[in-house]
Amino acid sequence: MTTPPAVTNAFSGRGSGHLDRLRGASPGLVLAWLVIALVVLWAAAPALFTEYSATVGVPAEKLRPPSPDHLLGTDALGRDLFARIVHGSVHSLSGALVAVAIGLVAGTMLGLVAGSIGGLVDDTLMRIVDVLLAVPALLLSLSIIILTGFGTINAAVAVGAASVAGFARLVRADVIRVRRSEYVEAAFGSGGTYAAVLWRHVLPNSLTSAFAFAALQFGSAILSISTLGFLGYGAPPPTPEWGLLIAEGRNYISSAWWLTAAPGLVVVAVVLSANRISRAVGRSTP
Amino acid sequence: MSRYLISRIGQALVVLWAAFTLSFVLLQALPGDAVLIKFLNPDFGLSQEQIADIRASYGADRSVTAQYLHALGNVLSGDFGYSIQAGVPVRQLLAENLPATLRLACLAFLAAVVLAFAVTLLSTFATFAWLRSAIQVLPSLFISLPVFWLGIMLIQIFSFRLRLVSVINPGPWEALILPVATIAVPISAPLAQILMRNLDAVAHQPFVTVARAKGASRAFAFWRHVLRNALLPTLAIAGVLFGELLAGAVVTETVFGLNGIGALTHKAVGNQDAAVLQAVVLFCAVAFVVITLFVDLASPLLDPRLRSKTGAPA
Amino acid sequence: MSGTSSFATRRSLLVAGLYALSLASLAMAAPALAQPVTGGTLIYLEQQAHTNLYPTAGGFYPNSGILNQITDKLTYQNPQTLEIEPWIATSWTVNDTLTEYTFKIRPGVTFSDGTPLDARAVARNFDTYGRGDKSRKFPVSEVINNYDHSEIIDDLTVKFVFKRPSPGFLQGTAVIGSGLVSPATLDRSFDELGDATKIIGSGPFVVERETLGKELKLKARTDYNWGPARLAHQGRAYLDGITFIVTPEDSVRIGALLSGQADVIRQIQAYDEPQVEAQSFLIYAPSTRGVNNALVFRPDNPLVADARVRKALLHATNTQEIVDTLFSRHYPKATSVIASSAVGYEDQSARLAYDPQRSKKLLAEAGWQPGHDGILARDGVKLELSIYESLPQPQSKAMLQLVAQQWAQIGVRLNVLNADSGSIAVDLLDPLKTPVAHTMVGRADPDVIKSNFHPANRDVLRQKGGLSDKIKSFVDEALNGRLEAIAAETDPEKRLALTREVQAYIIDQAYQIPIFEEPQAFAAAPHVKGLAFDAVARPSFYSTWLDK
Repeated sequence: MTTPPAVTNAFSGRGSGHLDRLRGASPGLVLAWLVIALVVLWAAAPALFTEYSATVGVPAEKLRPPSPDHLLGTDALGRDLFARIVHGSVHSLSGALVAVAIGLVAGTMLGLVAGSIGGLVDDTLMRIVDVLLAVPALLLSLSIIILTGFGTINAAVAVGAASVAGFARLVRADVIRVRRSEYVEAAFGSGGTYAAVLWRHVLPNSLTSAFAFAALQFGSAILSISTLGFLGYGAPPPTPEWGLLIAEGRNYISSAWWLTAAPGLVVVAVVLSANRISRAVGRSTP
Repeated sequence: MSRYLISRIGQALVVLWAAFTLSFVLLQALPGDAVLIKFLNPDFGLSQEQIADIRASYGADRSVTAQYLHALGNVLSGDFGYSIQAGVPVRQLLAENLPATLRLACLAFLAAVVLAFAVTLLSTFATFAWLRSAIQVLPSLFISLPVFWLGIMLIQIFSFRLRLVSVINPGPWEALILPVATIAVPISAPLAQILMRNLDAVAHQPFVTVARAKGASRAFAFWRHVLRNALLPTLAIAGVLFGELLAGAVVTETVFGLNGIGALTHKAVGNQDAAVLQAVVLFCAVAFVVITLFVDLASPLLDPRLRSKTGAPA
Repeated sequence: MSGTSSFATRRSLLVAGLYALSLASLAMAAPALAQPVTGGTLIYLEQQAHTNLYPTAGGFYPNSGILNQITDKLTYQNPQTLEIEPWIATSWTVNDTLTEYTFKIRPGVTFSDGTPLDARAVARNFDTYGRGDKSRKFPVSEVINNYDHSEIIDDLTVKFVFKRPSPGFLQGTAVIGSGLVSPATLDRSFDELGDATKIIGSGPFVVERETLGKELKLKARTDYNWGPARLAHQGRAYLDGITFIVTPEDSVRIGALLSGQADVIRQIQAYDEPQVEAQSFLIYAPSTRGVNNALVFRPDNPLVADARVRKALLHATNTQEIVDTLFSRHYPKATSVIASSAVGYEDQSARLAYDPQRSKKLLAEAGWQPGHDGILARDGVKLELSIYESLPQPQSKAMLQLVAQQWAQIGVRLNVLNADSGSIAVDLLDPLKTPVAHTMVGRADPDVIKSNFHPANRDVLRQKGGLSDKIKSFVDEALNGRLEAIAAETDPEKRLALTREVQAYIIDQAYQIPIFEEPQAFAAAPHVKGLAFDAVARPSFYSTWLDK
């Protein structure tokens, strides 16, 4: 089953035109990098940002609204929400990274092999990819979580596995495009071995759009892990993973709205930033 | 062309069989089973022997191979088996839930297209530059929202605070407003991105410049060229969006308490209701295969440039 | 252990119930100052979809909420006194050996398909419930044991004969699981009865329409005229209909109620109670009168095999803090194994005190020493336990995290797990994976303690020879003996004494850490009048009316 290149365009952001370029050094892009830098700092050194524990609360101080003491209020067990968000960034970011890494590595391998070898191998691999696409991604993710157990990394693996097919198609299309290009033909012509040409010319040129897709996937992986938390397949408590914070906070929406609104806004900011960066990466593609 | 078609249909059948088998293997590998989950519930007050009897009565005590062949044979003859959790045949569940989800999905897709066009138009034609750039951020914002969160927020605001629509016992159309919005918002984002990009690309192409020099308005260029050029990529991502629609339906139907394939799937996963899940997987696989096939066959008709390349790998 | 003894228990407990003060029936407290109005449709939001509606599966809350409206029972258990009163049976006689029960049936009662509810139909019902039916996959009812056969004396008189004395049968005819259905329903197979429209009862409401998994519409039977004889209200139900809507999201149920889109909702969380009451909506939290919401140990796991460890954990659990933090006045702190409104209750609170110093001493005695990470260890093994979140229990996940926080203060780690229901079902059978579990049982069954702990019943402690085949050695004959003694005792006074004794024994052994008395929490709009609940907190809408 073939897919017109337009699909890859849609997701990779390649071919962005003048309007974007005219904006020059966009303040939006700077802001996006700042947001990512901040949450990475949260993950690396949470103690710099909050003195509260993310997992142990003071029960008597439950469900406090935002105040100078508790910037974003407290949850049902008296835990500081801001502390939970700060400490949660390491879980959410590493989860999203693992998910993207799995999709990127496995998808690239599949796509590279299929696109460069072609023939029966290509057909077989692409039919496998079709099967992966045909089984709803959500069902695939849920089954993997049930099989491997509940946890942030397991959920990340499940989300990553569901994105393998997308990466594989993208990379395969690029590999085929690059292989047909004149300089690769020339490289073969000048006596390069197959593997060497593949490694030095085809792979690097095929990866740019995959990387742009990866930045985009980073954002959607955070959302997918969050959705799994909502459906009851998240990490075990008291893990302060962002998606779980949103999912668990939603029950308090009519009595303590900040419990779901605050982590929700953090996720929106991070996903927006990741998408913005993805577009910037995509634009640097030739 | 007909040879191509036959080979494509053959491939599609292989994909369907593989999807069915994959789901069967996955379900077998999961710990516990539907009988255990349902009947170990202390409210039934059943002994281990009684549970074993029940399991035998569903044929769940046979060898895996026998169960697989049985399930495959049943599906081939159009019998999807029996839902252990819901206590009704799967056929009945599908008949009751499929139309609801199809209606929701189709309306959501339509709404997404409309929303995407609206965003694109505003991002190009809005009077103020700041407004245009603000609107250009919208698609990114739309896919940054967790769907369940969006749904809950929409309910809280429009139903419980403003009391504009009811979500409990609403009229047939009223019932669809908020769920359709919930699914349409994230789906519209990639569509809007494609449209904006096409608009951007087309706006600078020589023929448009010429047309405009001849006095055609920007709006004319937009409708005349952008729309036609946007049709193909929109169609092309329909297959991908279909998967999104199902995931959106799972979440939306759960949030809004609607019946449909999504809610059915969510419950069936929780209860390992194998027969239901296999039917859902098969349904989704068929839909995916049909949509992809349709897109592949229709694309050359819409874009003459692709006509010569039919069947060539993309 | 046999069913016979358990029936003896049930009867004597019923007798005891006559003396027991009912604390829980808020339900009946709504004074009917205004004249009831006939008409209107009530919108009821349910958290989960119903499953199979074969009446014996009526223990599941969503099922019983429906079955209670569409079926009648032979007898009526008064929720205040727990006494058995006439309903479809106008009178009954029992022989001296309690092996033969003869019921006189009220004349003129019909199922909603027009079939008369006569001796033949009643006999058919109990033949099916009592013996099961393998060809139709009908399981045997858990409340009818030792059933032999029925005899139809005349059109309106039926006799049930038992193989052995069956003193609990009378109460067994009053429970949801013994709802009477038309022979047409029993002609179907179990597989078809997930479809509510196939359940033909004689109740005040009939199923009009169903959208599986989403919505169920009931409409009143205008010719209904056979409600329980003692009720003030007779004749048809006041409501024209009831719409059950499955609404899994907590926030949607509560928001819908408060914004006037629904009339009654089931399962309201304690943290939402203040805003409900602030708008003068009503909260109904009838007690389930059973074994309390509690943590139970599986002593087959070596970590909790030592009673000193279990006692230490019991005294390290601050139930007052749990109730104050997560719950409300509708969730009384537990003071024994069973609820204070349950029959045979004895206050054990003196031995349930929060005392972490004592816990530390007990653990030191048992040989557990703090390791370098602060977690207690013995012979290189850490005192680290795992527990699964219990989905049906209110705020189980939050509660277990709080318990984990409390236990951490004495150096014990409690990991709160969640998993899919399949893994949970498998792991709960293995004490090595689940040394502690979060449970409760709300049942009308008066010998609920035995039901909960005996290996032949729910076997919560996981004894060898019970539900699980993964048990290596743990059996407590002393406990089982006591439970069987209660079940065999026919003298009500002696039986109460035995019940008190077994509560003390369970707390002595610290098999269980009782947390709170679990209610079923409902909320209703102020215009909903006459909402009633049966002895085990299932709603009945027969006398409900809308004042608007």
